[in-house]
Amino acid sequence: MFVLSFLLRRLLQGSLIILLVTFIIFTLLRVVPGDPARLIVGGMAPDEVVAVKAKELGLDRPIPVQFVSYLGTLATGDLGTSFVRPKSGASLGGAAFDDQTREERAKVLDLILATLPMTLQLAMVALVIALLVAVPLGTAGGLYPGRWPDKLALALGSLCVSTPNFWLGIVLTLFLSVKLKFLPAIGYRGFSYTILPAIVLAVEIVPFILRTLTVSVAQVMREEFIQLAPIRGLSRSRTIFSHALGNSAIPLINLLGVQLGMLLGGVLVIEFIFDYPGLGLLTINAVLQRDFPLIQGIAIFISVMFVAINILVDLIAMTIDPRLEY
Amino acid sequence: MSGPILAVSNLGVELQRAGKTRRVVDDVGFALAPGEVLGLVGEAGSGKSVLARALVRAISSPLEIVSGKVVFEGKDILSADRRELMAIRGNRIGFIGANPMGSLDPRLSIGSQIVEKLRSVKPGIGRAEAREKVLELFGRVRIPSPDARFHEAPFQFSGGMMQRVMIVDALVSDPSLVIADNITQPLDVTVAAQIIRLIDDLRQSLGTAFLFISSSLPVVAQIAERTLVMQRGRIVEEGRTEDIAANPGQAYTRTLISRIPPIWNNVSAPVATEAEAVLKIDNVTRTYRVRRRNTFNGFNAVKAIRGVSFTVKARENFGIVGESGCGKSTLTRLLAWLEQPDSGCIAFLGKDLSQLSSRSLTEFRKSFQLLLQDPYGSLPANMPVQRMIEEPLLIHGVGKAEAARLAQEAMAEVGLSMEFAERLPVGLSAGQRQRINIARALVLKPQLLILDETLSALDQVEQAELLDLFTRLQATHGFSYVFISHDLALVRRMCHRIAVMYLGRIVELADNATLFEHPHHPYTRALLSAMPTLEDNRFPRSRYLLDGEPPSPIELPSGCSFRSRCPRAQGDCQRIDPPLLVIDGGNAAACLHMHEALTEKETADVE
Repeated sequence: MFVLSFLLRRLLQGSLIILLVTFIIFTLLRVVPGDPARLIVGGMAPDEVVAVKAKELGLDRPIPVQFVSYLGTLATGDLGTSFVRPKSGASLGGAAFDDQTREERAKVLDLILATLPMTLQLAMVALVIALLVAVPLGTAGGLYPGRWPDKLALALGSLCVSTPNFWLGIVLTLFLSVKLKFLPAIGYRGFSYTILPAIVLAVEIVPFILRTLTVSVAQVMREEFIQLAPIRGLSRSRTIFSHALGNSAIPLINLLGVQLGMLLGGVLVIEFIFDYPGLGLLTINAVLQRDFPLIQGIAIFISVMFVAINILVDLIAMTIDPRLEY
Repeated sequence: MSGPILAVSNLGVELQRAGKTRRVVDDVGFALAPGEVLGLVGEAGSGKSVLARALVRAISSPLEIVSGKVVFEGKDILSADRRELMAIRGNRIGFIGANPMGSLDPRLSIGSQIVEKLRSVKPGIGRAEAREKVLELFGRVRIPSPDARFHEAPFQFSGGMMQRVMIVDALVSDPSLVIADNITQPLDVTVAAQIIRLIDDLRQSLGTAFLFISSSLPVVAQIAERTLVMQRGRIVEEGRTEDIAANPGQAYTRTLISRIPPIWNNVSAPVATEAEAVLKIDNVTRTYRVRRRNTFNGFNAVKAIRGVSFTVKARENFGIVGESGCGKSTLTRLLAWLEQPDSGCIAFLGKDLSQLSSRSLTEFRKSFQLLLQDPYGSLPANMPVQRMIEEPLLIHGVGKAEAARLAQEAMAEVGLSMEFAERLPVGLSAGQRQRINIARALVLKPQLLILDETLSALDQVEQAELLDLFTRLQATHGFSYVFISHDLALVRRMCHRIAVMYLGRIVELADNATLFEHPHHPYTRALLSAMPTLEDNRFPRSRYLLDGEPPSPIELPSGCSFRSRCPRAQGDCQRIDPPLLVIDGGNAAACLHMHEALTEKETADVE
């Protein structure tokens, strides 16, 4: 079966990529200055305590050995434990090594799984908004090159691409939320909290979809089989809906694969601005707190998602265009 | 029915560009009787295709129909409203274009697209009935296993098969007229001949009228009863095709006919002479590994070149001919040492190229230069012409001033005016561009030029000029040429010795006169029989033309690889793969049952 052999091959390639990413992140975190053992026990702890902690965590062994044992725990689905975050969910734990109120630290996997659905929800809503705006306009722009839909698409695209997301986030919050009290903005207490950040994210994606679609529709409309369609007796609407759009969709789908990755990056800033409790906010805090196991876990998780999205995109593109089956 | 099915009068089409208007079709009038095949010939740019599209009102800006009437079955197409036009286009008038591979949506199966078309022009037909009809026509145009191929997408077809699909697409609605615009132009000779034979059969059984458009009078002459000759948008001559070919009335028609190179009548074939070897190819093979679909890690071996040997001598023109997929392009890349053979040896001036160090190979490359087919893609768009010609010299370490001097010399030699020196190539004609390419090769003082379809993008006049240039350069510099071409007429005119390739192997290697007058291999005869000529073909199609297409180079037939299509194949051809068997005169053919001479009685062997 073709799809199975394709999946098998791509999954093998994907695991190799993830392994490589894991190794690079792992090594970098251990090469850069900053002793994780010291971070865990706290700045005031005596050196012996730090050494004991380091031995306990296995940090005194050579990096390749550490990596292999990390992979071992990874294989059981254990991404390790946060250095700083307690299980209760507060973002900062106690600092001193002998603090009795110090709780047990949270599992990295739990932290990620708790925030991931929020980010996915944000990304999906943003994507839907972007597609709703850009697909009709982009298609119209491609069908009438040089006429007003094309110019409108170009103008809207330029406007969106040159609007900084942090600025737009603040301005929209000010108007829609503070002045008009139309949509909530900060934090998360229900679905309506997703809409405003999603709009800001969508503004980032719209220009790419617009541009790709306008160009690819215009290009497909110049293809011989479209030009010949009226001579063969097909009506214009039939030509556009059953032939032109399907062919223009292929570049768009490939773009969306890349865009979804970029979306995860854009989420960092947006979630921070709106204090939206997603993966992006978690990442920023992890970096600020030098929570190495968490950073490591998020990096691996994102690379897994990248690989999965790319496989999915290729599968979809193949069902649209049989020529891509390779 | 009486009266013409199509009557065109005073048709005019204008092209508007940059404020200027130009008549592309000017005062054209003709009539077409039911069931008639009318030919239309003219050079590239004479307005044939625009006329073809104007007939079905498929003209868009900057072109505009400015005058005339196109009366089809009693109704003027040019003044018909949208509904009436929809009822005619694709329904009563079928259209087949020159690019079969680009004529259908590349993503969807060909069967579903033809069904879609039939149901759009005849809404009363049900899905199942439409499918039946398409499958029946697939059978009639002899597409093998129509049920399976119905579900395949265009890219899974060869050009010739796809043109059959487009013939079905045009005929599926039982039209009374089909416009065939240059339909054989992209096809190999034998495939083109098959298509013409097929159309001839179909129109006799279906009674469909055809407007058959081509730039080649010999092609039109094979099928059309009457022919129109078009020049710069006007019909300059009209008459029975035989009369036009035999006694052209107009000067333009006479020029057209005079440019058709002769094949058998009054030809003085170049004669091979003895000389030392320049290039020696010995038992070269090249196999590509291609990923096999539906397997995890499977590969197919595509045997592109299978044991090819030949020698090119000094001052010789060596021709390599064959149809698409025969391995010509792979051989070109091997000869230019862009790729290395899997086994076998390519020796240039007695030195095995695989034994050279990379430094001496670079030095050696000066002596053999490759000229490509596409004059547009082969030149950098943003470099002045003279700089382009200096480029190879600078690569090989010649000083700036010296390079400029040599480049200017070369430009003069290939007939490029010095005013082009500082200009960019934009706006230059295909012929001028190929001259730049020749100059680029020439400055390195090569001994061998490999011409990979170098002239096929040029029109007849430019081709003739460049052939003269090649001959002149050979006389002054003593070049050897390898002509790789599908154009038998060109090879007939230029080459001393010719190799015919089929499925990665040379099946016949002979001097010019022998190959064209007494070919020994049945495939050579099939190629010659497929050539469109105004002369009487010495190898009549009824006897020599092949059916079907070459098998895939992945699964070659056992024994002789030609036997699956060979009219002379016998039992031993299944077991024995014949090597090139030497015949007298240094010629050779790879066939167990080769033709001895033309006069031999062959009736017993032929189907």
